[in-house]
Order: sequence, then C-alpha cells, then structure tokens
Amino acid sequence: MMTPPAAGTLISALRVGADIESISQVTSWLADLAEREEWPMAMRFGLELSVEEALTNVISYGFDGIAHDPVIRLEVHRMAEGRVAVELIDNGAAFDPTTLAEPEAVDTIDAAKVGGHGVQLMRHFLESLTYRRQGEENHLTMVAVPRSR
Amino acid sequence: MTSMHIEREQANGEVVLKVAGRLDTPHAKPFETSLMDVVSMTDGSIVINLAGVDYVSSSGLRALLVAGKAMRNSKRRLSLMSLQPQIREVFDISGFSTLFEIS
Repeated sequence: MMTPPAAGTLISALRVGADIESISQVTSWLADLAEREEWPMAMRFGLELSVEEALTNVISYGFDGIAHDPVIRLEVHRMAEGRVAVELIDNGAAFDPTTLAEPEAVDTIDAAKVGGHGVQLMRHFLESLTYRRQGEENHLTMVAVPRSR
Repeated sequence: MTSMHIEREQANGEVVLKVAGRLDTPHAKPFETSLMDVVSMTDGSIVINLAGVDYVSSSGLRALLVAGKAMRNSKRRLSLMSLQPQIREVFDISGFSTLFEIS
C-alpha cells in the first residue's frame, strides 16, 4: 500500500529531467506557486533553497551507473497552519540525505572544505526533512513553516 | 529573475565586482569562471558587492570559496560587501561569515 506522502492537499506536481536545466524550471514553478499561494518571503526562500539542494544532489549523483530512465517528480502539498510540504520523488539510487553529517566548523578559508553545506542549510530552513525508500523510489519530504525573520 | 551578471569596476587600486541575480546551481559555474578570470587577470584586492544578489545556494557558496582559496594562496585580500539579510543568514548557517571578510 502507498503511504500518503504528507497529510495535506496536493496543489501542484511537476516532472523534470535529470539535468541542471531542471533546476531553473523548478525555480520558476515554485516562484509561480509562491505568488499564487502568497507564501511569506522567508518561507519561500527556505523552500526554494531546500528544493534546489535536494534536486542538485539527485541530478548530480542519483543516476550514476543507473541503467533505467530517470523519473524525477515534485509535489507541493498545502498543509495545516500555512505550512507547505514539497515531496521530491526519484527512481535513482537509494540515498538518504537526512543521514549526512554536517561539515566540520572551521575558522579559516584554508581549512574550509568545498561542498557539504546543502543539508546543513536544509535543516536550518525547514521544519522537517524526512526520507523514505518506497519500492524503487526515494521520497524526500521537505516541510517549511511560515516564520518571521 | 533567473539570471546572474557581473559588473567590474576599478577603484583605488582594487577591483570591485558588482554581482546581481541568483547564485544557484545553474549560475554557479559561470559565476566561478568569471570570478577566477578576474583573480587570474588582476593582482590586487578584490571586493565582491553582493547587494544585487537575492539568492544563494551551496553551489554559489562553493564558487566563492574556490575564489577565496585562490586569493588566499596568492596572499591577496578578498572581501564581500552588502549582503541582503537572507544571504547573510545562509552565510551565518554555513559558517561562511567567519571565513570571509564582510562589510
């Protein structure tokens, strides 16, 4: 049986290709939804950023060595109290970003490692970040809550 | 809205780069290439004015870090200025606020 992705109302869905251009496509799609749904600016920024980070990971690494055609879908759900859930679904290699360790804090540019900040930013900007593997698919659910800056 | 551009000015012996637009994954690579071109073609300090940047993701941070490391290796000064509040927040969370000189 399918588990409901997130309790809420599905308001939009999009299927994209596994290429970098998809990110601009998703950005425009989210911007249109943000206008229509009147998402507060801070929540919109956090969602855009989180979706980009997650999608960049899937596009960059999710289909390495995978023989079947990539299928990447995004669903936006309207939730209680102004929350918004975006679910990213892909049929790439099983990958749970919620288990990634955050980069070590460093105080010099020499010691700083290039990369690894995506999940750290997602954890900050989202109320919750949850992952499940369902059949042959990764399901990553990102929930953002309206917040004041 | 989904674009990025850089203007270059020379002032008091330093190069000022005024960046506008989005530093997201699609634009991070061209941004990094432009930055590194300026790093290799000049020999003084560089200031990056981010007043016109309204979005940065980890890909954009990565481009800045690559330029920062190159400047550091050649013992030159790289500073950032005029970060919008949401950009500042990304810098604070990722620890980049302590890595860069920001005014």
